[in-house]
Amino acid sequence: MVRFLIFLLFSAWAIISAIGVVTFTNPIYVILWLLSSLIAVAGIFFVAGAELVGALQLLIYAVAIAVFYVFVLTAVPWEKAVKKESHYRTEGVISLPLILLLYLEMAVVFLLGVVASPEGKFREAIARIGNAEVVGSVLFTKYFFAFEVVSLVLLIGMIGAVLIGRKESQTYEDDTG
Amino acid sequence: MKTIPVEAYFAVSMILFGLGILGLIARRNLITVLMSLELALNAVNVAFVGADAHMGLVEGQIFALFIIALAAVEAAVGLGIIIAIFRYRYVESTDEITDMRG
Repeated sequence: MVRFLIFLLFSAWAIISAIGVVTFTNPIYVILWLLSSLIAVAGIFFVAGAELVGALQLLIYAVAIAVFYVFVLTAVPWEKAVKKESHYRTEGVISLPLILLLYLEMAVVFLLGVVASPEGKFREAIARIGNAEVVGSVLFTKYFFAFEVVSLVLLIGMIGAVLIGRKESQTYEDDTG
Repeated sequence: MKTIPVEAYFAVSMILFGLGILGLIARRNLITVLMSLELALNAVNVAFVGADAHMGLVEGQIFALFIIALAAVEAAVGLGIIIAIFRYRYVESTDEITDMRG
């Protein structure tokens, strides 16, 4: 019961922060609300017993990606964005029924559907040696190929980001001749 | 771990995902559009981990780790594209990029 109360606390925190992400105008406030929401979602992960995913959420999302967004906000002058209007108000109001329809569809699919019966294949192993060990052992045996493919995707993304973000003003092939 | 119903995780995930989609549609600044996208990806992670805690499996947490890695790649490439757009066009609003209008 205490666990459910803590879950409700983190859920309310995450939803309020998400409303702040959608509604605020200043991009600095938006990144602060996003950081708050990411920390709240990490709290939800810890409550659910997934401490490895929660720790990686804190490390990668709430530190690395948030700091990266702040760096880009300093590179792009956002004073013009503050002066301009920050939302498409009519489009947002028009798309709101579609969002509600999406909510209704997801409610029908998730809440009224039959939830799969708990199989519990790893439950006693999780209770015996801990969640992070079970996640690591399954990740590095059954999903090892997918893990390597994700590392390749990270490498390609890094190369792409460097190639897209570099300056094109200097050319180096003119000095031969 | 059985004290939290799985529908609660799904409800939180639905609300966060809908807010992310709404921000994705209604936001004007490119960087805040990417932030809303991060919010939607995070909502999917909540659904994966919640279903995992309900069913006693670990595959959802592994998929959540993959989603976190792909979100990092998406942030790097997307913000690189935003910096390139600003460098060549000096715009950062989504209604000013009209080069492909027919």
